[in-house]
Amino acid sequence: MATVNVLIPTGYGLNCDHETAHAFALAGAAARRVHINALIDGDVRLEEHQILVFIGGFGWGDDHGAGVIQAVKMKTSLGERLLEFVSRGKLVLGICNGFQALVNLGLLPGFDGDYHSRSIALLGNACGNFRNQWVRLQVNPRSPCVFTRGIFAADLPVRHGEGRLCAEETLIRRLDRQGQIVLRYALPDGSRASGRFPHNPNGSVDDIAGICDPTGRIFGLMPHPEAFNDWTNHPDWTRERERLRRAGRPFEAGETVGVRMLRNAVDYMRAA
Amino acid sequence: MPARLEISLKEHLVDPEGEGIRNKAKAYFGIDAARIRTVGILTIDAALSTDQLEAIRRDIFTNPVTQVSSYRPLAIAADWVIWVGYRPGVRDNPGATAVEAIEDLLGVRLGAGEAVYTSRRYAVSGRDLSRAQAETIAGELLANDIIQQWRVFSKEEWDPAEGIGFVIPKVRLDRPAAVTRLPIDSDEAVRRISAERNLALNPNDVPVIRAYFSDPRVRESRTAMGLADPTDVELEYISQARSDHCNHNTFRGLFRYRDAADGRSEVVDNLFKTCIEAPTLELARRKPWVVSVLWDNAGAGRLDEQTYYVITGETHNSPSNMEAYGGAITGIVGVYRDPLGTGKGSKLVMGGYGFCVGPRDYSGPLKPRLHPRRLLDGVIEGVRDGGNKSGIPTAFGQVLFHPGYLGKCLVFVTAVGIMPARIQDQPAEKKRTRPGDLVVMCGGRVGKDGIHGVTASSEVFSEHTPAGHVQIGDPYTQKKMHDFLLEARDEGLIQFITDNGGGGLSSSVGESARYSNGAEVDLARVPLKYEGLDPWEIWVSESQERMTVAIRPEDAERFMALSRRHAVESTVIGRYTDSGKLHLTYAGKTCAWVDMDFLESGFPQWQFDAEWTPPARRGLVEPVLRPPADVNRLLADLLQRPNICSTEWITRQYDHEVQGTSVIKPLVGAERDVNSDAAVLRPVLGSRRGLAFAQALLPAYSAIDAYAMAACSIDEAVRRILAVGGDLEHIGGVDNFCWPSIQHDAQANPDGKFKAAQLVRACWALRDICLAYGIPLLSGKDSMYVDGHLCGRYGETHKVSAPETMQFAAISVVPDVGRCISMDGKAAGDRVYVIGSTRNELGGSEYYAHLGYVGLNVPQVRAAGFLPAYRALARAAASGVVASAHGVYRGGLGVHLALVAMAGNLGMRADLREVPASGVDRTDALLFSESSGRFIVTVDPAKRAEFESSFRGLPCACIGELTSAPVLELTGLDGRPALSAAVLELKAAWKKPFGNLT
Repeated sequence: MATVNVLIPTGYGLNCDHETAHAFALAGAAARRVHINALIDGDVRLEEHQILVFIGGFGWGDDHGAGVIQAVKMKTSLGERLLEFVSRGKLVLGICNGFQALVNLGLLPGFDGDYHSRSIALLGNACGNFRNQWVRLQVNPRSPCVFTRGIFAADLPVRHGEGRLCAEETLIRRLDRQGQIVLRYALPDGSRASGRFPHNPNGSVDDIAGICDPTGRIFGLMPHPEAFNDWTNHPDWTRERERLRRAGRPFEAGETVGVRMLRNAVDYMRAA
Repeated sequence: MPARLEISLKEHLVDPEGEGIRNKAKAYFGIDAARIRTVGILTIDAALSTDQLEAIRRDIFTNPVTQVSSYRPLAIAADWVIWVGYRPGVRDNPGATAVEAIEDLLGVRLGAGEAVYTSRRYAVSGRDLSRAQAETIAGELLANDIIQQWRVFSKEEWDPAEGIGFVIPKVRLDRPAAVTRLPIDSDEAVRRISAERNLALNPNDVPVIRAYFSDPRVRESRTAMGLADPTDVELEYISQARSDHCNHNTFRGLFRYRDAADGRSEVVDNLFKTCIEAPTLELARRKPWVVSVLWDNAGAGRLDEQTYYVITGETHNSPSNMEAYGGAITGIVGVYRDPLGTGKGSKLVMGGYGFCVGPRDYSGPLKPRLHPRRLLDGVIEGVRDGGNKSGIPTAFGQVLFHPGYLGKCLVFVTAVGIMPARIQDQPAEKKRTRPGDLVVMCGGRVGKDGIHGVTASSEVFSEHTPAGHVQIGDPYTQKKMHDFLLEARDEGLIQFITDNGGGGLSSSVGESARYSNGAEVDLARVPLKYEGLDPWEIWVSESQERMTVAIRPEDAERFMALSRRHAVESTVIGRYTDSGKLHLTYAGKTCAWVDMDFLESGFPQWQFDAEWTPPARRGLVEPVLRPPADVNRLLADLLQRPNICSTEWITRQYDHEVQGTSVIKPLVGAERDVNSDAAVLRPVLGSRRGLAFAQALLPAYSAIDAYAMAACSIDEAVRRILAVGGDLEHIGGVDNFCWPSIQHDAQANPDGKFKAAQLVRACWALRDICLAYGIPLLSGKDSMYVDGHLCGRYGETHKVSAPETMQFAAISVVPDVGRCISMDGKAAGDRVYVIGSTRNELGGSEYYAHLGYVGLNVPQVRAAGFLPAYRALARAAASGVVASAHGVYRGGLGVHLALVAMAGNLGMRADLREVPASGVDRTDALLFSESSGRFIVTVDPAKRAEFESSFRGLPCACIGELTSAPVLELTGLDGRPALSAAVLELKAAWKKPFGNLT
C-alpha cells in the first residue's frame, strides 16, 4: 500500500502538532511535524507530501487576528508552492487556528479557482470569550468535502476565541448552493442549532463550523478532529460504557469520528 | 516621524469587546453607556516608506472583510474617547509580534530602537455620561496605572484630525552602566545600604556578610582581582540568595512551640527537614516509582518504564494583587518553566490553578487596590491567556472566596510535565554542569523587570521610567523556547537546564554552578531590551521567558543552529569552572568574586516563637441551633454559596483538551456541567496509562485549627484521586503554603506567635497525613507575608491577613484510562452508597458559615481508620463495579448527593437513617457535616453483591437509589421526609450566582 505523507508545519506558538500527527498515524498516514522554517529553508520539501495540515494553536499569539500572521508568512515565503500543491490535487486541512489561516491566505472559499482573495473572516465569539466545549455537528451530505465522506454527524470539541464566521450574505448563499458548507453546529437531537448558544458556541452565521473549497480538497473547520483521537476523549464515554455494560455488551467504540475524517483524507490520497 | 494606524470593526458588525465593557460598566458601576466601540492602535516608530506602511496596513493589519483602518484617526461617533496604552518598559506582546510580521512581509529588519507600540481607543457613546463615569470606565475597567497610562477626551476635547497624538512609550535611561563599590565598615553601614537599596537583608545575616568581606584571605584574593569593598553586584547577589523566597528561611527556621493549654514546650528545628524532607525520603525508599525529589525544579515520578512525569506548584500573589492580569499570566507562564527546567527538560502536559480572592460582591468600607471582582476577572484572564497560548491544557482548578484575601489575593498555579526516562541512553532526570561547559541564556531579553519584586511600586514614575516591578508574561516567546529546548534535549545537547525566575541569572547561574563548583559570566554579553542597565540589574533582573542551559563547547554550533531554526534567541554568556568562585565581569573588569560555598555556610537560622492556644481555650463553641424546618430552601441556598456554586464560566475559558489527552474533564455529567472530582489525562498518546490530578483547599478550617485545615485538604485531594480511579499506592503530593506573617511584633503583628503555631501545626499535619497515606511530597512552595493594609472609611488603615492556607495537589497514575470513573449518577435504579462515617464535625462548615457561625468541631482525619475503605473502593473501582464515585467535600452530604443527581440528570431517593454515622442525632448535622473520609458511590443493582463483598466490616451502606423522576427525596433520621426538591431547581440554584457570566 502506498504511503501517504502528511506534513504538519509547527513553530511560532502553534500547538496541537503532536496530537494531529498521532491522529493521522492512527488513520494510516506517515505524519511529520516540521518547523515552518525548515519548510521555508527547503530542508523539508512540501512536494514530497500529499496532505498539508494547518494546525490549531496560537500562532504568533493570535495577535492582530487569529491566523493572520501565519497566513502572511506562508504567503510571502511559500505562496507559489502552496498553489502548486493545491493544483496537483492534493489535500489541505485547516483546523481552528489553521482554518483562520486558510481564510486569511484565501485558500478558502476558493470560488472559481481564486485561491488568494480574503473574503471570509472568523471573528471574536459572540459570547465575548474563549470557549472550550464539545459541539454536535451536522454534516452536509451534498458537500464535495473529501474528509467527511460517509459521515453524517459528529461530536467534536471546539476551543477558540475567534470562530464566528462572517462574510457577505451573497457569499454565504453561494457557499451553501455549492455544498461548501460542510459542517454546521447542531442541537443534541441533530437538528440545526439556529444560532442558539451554547450549541452554536460562537454565533457563527448560518451555524457554520466548517467549509471546503469547490473541489472538496481544501477543508477548514473550527472543531478539532485530532482531539477526538481516542474514545476516552468523548465527554460522555463513562456514561456510554455504563449503558453498554448494562446491555451486556463490551465497550469498544472503535475508530472515533475524528480519526475517521482523517482516514477519509488518507484513503483518498492513497487511491489518487 | 512615527505612524499611527487605527483599526476598527466595520460599523455594521457587533463589537463583542465593546459590548463586554458596556455590560461590565453596567453590572459593576451602574454606568449606562449606549454603545462602546473599540479601536486598535499601532504606533509604528520605525523608518518605513509610505508604500511600506500601506503594504502592512493592507496585508497584515486589516481584514478586508470585517475591518476598516487608517493612518488618520477613524471617525467613530462618541461622547467620550478613552485611550489606554502601556507604560514604558511593560511587555507589549502584540507590539513584538507586529514587528515580526512587518519584518516578514517587507523583508526588512527594524533598526535598534525602532519598535511598534500597541494601544487601544474606546469610543463611548451615552449622552448622559459624566467625565467621572468615563474616568471610572477608564481607571476601574480598562486600565491599571501600574502598567498602563490613559487619557479621557470629551467630545469637545477630541480633535478628529489629531486623534490621540503620538505616544511613544520608549524606555530611555540615558546613563552609562556602572558598578558601585559599597564600603561596609560597620554593621550599621550594611543595614543602611540594605535599606537604601531595598535589599531586605536579615539583620542577623549582616555580621556574617561583614565577616566574609573582612576575612584577610578573602581580601587578598579579591585584591588580586582588583576588588576591595563589596560591589553592588555582590551585595545584590547575596541578598537574592538569602531571601526567604530563594532560601526558605522560614521553613528552615527554629520554632519554640508552646501549648498554652498544657504549658508544654518543644523546639522544632527546621520544618522543612522534619515535616517535608524526612518523610518524603522515607517514603521514596519504600516507593520505587519515586524518581527524583527535593532538589530539582520539580519532583519526578514514574508513569511507566519509558516515561517519567514531573510536577511542581507556585504562587504569584503580590504581583497579581497589584496587576491581576499581568501577575497571573506571569505566574502560570513562570510555573511552566519549572518542568521545562527539570531533569534535562520536560514537556508540559497540564496546568492547574487555585484562586483565592475577597468576596466578589464585596461592598464594605475597606478599599483594596483592586476590587475582588476586577481582580478575579484579571486573574482568570491572565491564566487563560498564559495557559491557552502555551498549548497546555488547564485541566483542573478552583476558586475560593474569603474576606481575608481582600488584603492580598492568592494565585496558585501547578504544572505537570513528562520526560522520556532516557535521553541518548542517559538518565533524563539527572543533570550536572562540568568545568568547561558553556553558560547559555535562552529566550527573552533582560530589562529592569521584576527587580526587587513589588517594593519598587512605591517609587515615583517619570514618563520614560520602565514600570518593571509588575510584568506581563509572554507565552508566545516561551512556547517557541519550549519547543526548541525539547528538540535540543532529544539530540542530547543539554547538560543542565534551569529556569530564570526569582533572582534571575543570580539564582539560575549561582545554583547550576554548584555542580561544577564555579562559573564565569560576562554580564555585558547578556542581551538587553534597552540600554542603560547596571551590571547588578542584569544579574538579578527577573525578566521572564528565559532559561539557563549548560552545553558542551562542541555542541554549541548545533545548539545555536536549532535555536535559530526555532526563532529563539540564545546567547553564550560565560562558562562553568571548577575555581570555587562565582566570577562576574562587565566590560572586561571583575565586578563580583564570591566563594561558591559562602552562601551555604555560617548564616544564622531564623527563629520564631510559636504559641498555640487550642480552639476551646480561645472561646470557640458550637452554636446553639434548633433544627431547620425548611431543608429544601436551606439546601438550595447552600448550593448558591460562592464556594460551592458552579464556576463553569471560568472552566470554559480554559482550554482543557489541547494535546488531545483528555480522559476525565473538569466538567462532567449528562449536561457536562458539574465539576469532576479530578482530572485524568493520557499524556502519552499511544499508551493507555493516565495521570489523575486534583487539588484541595480548605482555609476556613484554619479559623479553628490549621492542623485540621492541612489534614483535611490532603484527605480531600486523596479522595478526589480515588474517585476517578487513581492508584492509592501511587500518590504524589505538592504542598503549597500561603501564610500571613509569623514574626511576632507587639504592634505590627501581635498575633504572630499564634500564626507561627498554626504553621507548625499545619506542617505536622502534612507530615502525619502524608506518612499515613504514603504520599511523598514531589514538590512544594511557601509564600509568607500574605497580609495587606487596606484603607477604611475614615482614612485609617486595617491590616488584613489571609487565613492560613495550604493548597494540596495530588497526582496519581491510572494503569488503564478505560477504567476511569466519573462522578455523575448513571442510571435510574442504581443503588446509592455512602462510604465512610459521618460525625458531628460542622465546625468550619459551609452550613455554619451560612448561618454566621464558626463552631468548634472541625473535621478530623483518621487516616488509619479511613484506609481500609479507601482500599476497598480502589478494588471495587478496578473491577468495574462502580458506576460513579464522588467524594463528600465542602457543604457535606446534602450538597454532594444533590450534585451526583444533578450531574446524572436523575432523581434520588435515600433514607438518611442508613448513612454510616457516629454521634450524629440530627438530620441537619448528618446532611451538612463535613467529616472527611467519605464518598458517594452508585452501583448497578446487578453488581450489588459484588460491590458489597468488598466492604464487609467497613462503614459503607446502601442508602437508596437513583430515580428517573428528577426529584431528590430524603428521609430524615426521625423517619419522616426531610427533603423533597426538584433536581432541576437545585441545579438552577447552583448555577445562579455566576450563571450570567461567560
